[in-house]
Amino acid sequence: MNPLKFLPYILKQVTRHRVRTALTLLGVAAAMFLFTAVHAMHRGVQRTTAASAADTTLVVYRKDRFCPATSALPQDYLSRIERLEGVTSVLPVKIVVTNCRTSLDVVTFRGVPPERFLAERGDQIDFISGTSAQWLRRSDAAILGQTLAARRGLSVGQRFDAAGITVTVAAIIRSDDPQDQNVAYVALDFLQRAARNQQGIVTQFNVKVSNPALLEPVAAQIDDLFAHAQEPTSTYSEKAFMARVAQDVVELVSFARWLGAGCLVAVLALIANVIILSVQSRIAEHAVLQTLGFTGRLVAALVVAEGTILALLGGGLGALAAILVARFGSFALSVEGQSIPITADAPLLLNGLAACAALGILAGLVPAWQASRRPIASCFRSV
Amino acid sequence: MTLIKARALVREYQKGQASIRPLDGLDLDVQSGEFLALMGPSGSGKTTLLNCIAGIDTPTSGTLDIDGQDITKLSRSRLATWRASHVGYVFQLYNLVPVLTAYENIELPLLLHPLSRRQRHERVAEALNLVGLEDRHDHFPRQLSGGQEQRVAIARAIVARPPILVADEPTGDLDRDSASRIMGLLRSLNRDLGKTILMVTHDPKTAAFATRTLHLDHGRLVRDRAASGTPGTPGAPGTPPTTDEAGSSPRELPSADARSPRAANFASAPAPAPAATEPPP
Repeated sequence: MNPLKFLPYILKQVTRHRVRTALTLLGVAAAMFLFTAVHAMHRGVQRTTAASAADTTLVVYRKDRFCPATSALPQDYLSRIERLEGVTSVLPVKIVVTNCRTSLDVVTFRGVPPERFLAERGDQIDFISGTSAQWLRRSDAAILGQTLAARRGLSVGQRFDAAGITVTVAAIIRSDDPQDQNVAYVALDFLQRAARNQQGIVTQFNVKVSNPALLEPVAAQIDDLFAHAQEPTSTYSEKAFMARVAQDVVELVSFARWLGAGCLVAVLALIANVIILSVQSRIAEHAVLQTLGFTGRLVAALVVAEGTILALLGGGLGALAAILVARFGSFALSVEGQSIPITADAPLLLNGLAACAALGILAGLVPAWQASRRPIASCFRSV
Repeated sequence: MTLIKARALVREYQKGQASIRPLDGLDLDVQSGEFLALMGPSGSGKTTLLNCIAGIDTPTSGTLDIDGQDITKLSRSRLATWRASHVGYVFQLYNLVPVLTAYENIELPLLLHPLSRRQRHERVAEALNLVGLEDRHDHFPRQLSGGQEQRVAIARAIVARPPILVADEPTGDLDRDSASRIMGLLRSLNRDLGKTILMVTHDPKTAAFATRTLHLDHGRLVRDRAASGTPGTPGAPGTPPTTDEAGSSPRELPSADARSPRAANFASAPAPAPAATEPPP
């Protein structure tokens, strides 16, 4: 028997009980919106902080400082770090942010030596508008990450002001590195001048090593090298640095995952409630179906399928809405000048739909069993 | 030919502390093509007998051979499959699915049979035509009168071409005119299409449409009598149906030898049997 023959019957049950369906979809969609949003934040945190075996970047920060406004290191550390064995490149970075605290709309300026930056990172970024030549041409030029440009509605040639610094957009880039998506790269000396005349001072050094196995030994060497300097350092792998800087956010997002789990429970309860009420109000109808020759198993399958369709429709709407908001809102959690993009993509939608399908099936099992096992004749006596 | 043979049929169930026996050792033979009226006081076992024959209730003991098969031996799912091809059920309260149109309600039993969409459409159109409701195919039950709803229910009961039609007080919720038309339709299905009909009723006028009347009391047959009405007498066999309240009337079926191919379809063998969903016990 072709089960698809019964799909129109199920869809009619869904579409012709309009109020019930609309309210159910609304509830499921709201819960799945929250679930997907929480998971989008969690994925952003994971991408930003989870270390991988291929990591070769260290971040050198001022010891016991946690904010770019207070981490000040002499730029001339650069040459001493470069001389260490295993170090392949060093990028001095000056960071200025509009807001040190966690926020969804922080503009982060990263001052870098342009030629050095392009030599090291040029192959990892795509210019989606503008060119590197335009960036090199002007001292106040900025390369904007795609997320920041989208959020602020900026395009090449426009000027914008943040944290008292005015720059001209020279290019907009796309990159796989979360830290590139929500920043404005400007020339290091321009930013040092613009930020209260801090020539010769940088916030951090990004150090590349030749081998992932060298991360820890090189970090230890750097910290030993400056242990007795006026500005001592703390060196971490890039992901560990992010995890340390964004610890509060990581904990918050981890806690928020419980909210996501709560949303799933809410979806389960909502669908189960709707299906139970539906089965109870359709005792005679299910008995009629069985009188016509529908087996108990088929009636059970129809009940489960109805719950699954409601869960999939509502969950799909909620998850899709969350993904659209995340994508077109271009949100990123910024903390201490570091960026955690809220990442929502197709796999997240598929995860949401899979969760909804599983919940729909689970929610329908008990009512389906009840609907299929009731003695037919007694169903007619009871209504 | 004996189509239904019940022997020592007992149906017993517990209600609180009390043991109730709606059927108490009942014996019954029904010939193919008969139109039976089941009468008796409330609690006499009429509906229980009907439900057992329809395969929606299971006797506690005894045998119930229908068309050569003891249906008391069938598993739940095989019994469901058997129902789909052997029995059409007409309820007192119609029991149409409220969110489905007349067409969709009638199509429901056909979903269980290996028929194409087009074949299903043809069958439903024929059934609608037979009950005189082709112009109401897209109406929902709430948009139909009681008589029309019952005609849709009858169309649903016969669309899979079962040899047996059972009806539990089919006119119990209808006014006199509608009841008369429904009975005319049932009588036509019996007389012209050869359906074997078993009908529960409390109304002697309704029972007069049948060819045989059984009286039950305390779960046993107490009287078995062939009908003796005179054709033309209101309520007696042969009384033609009149125009119904909506202006459309059930078709007066042609006699068996002059039967149209379309109507004759409903008298033929049942629709291809749906596949069994589990092996025999």
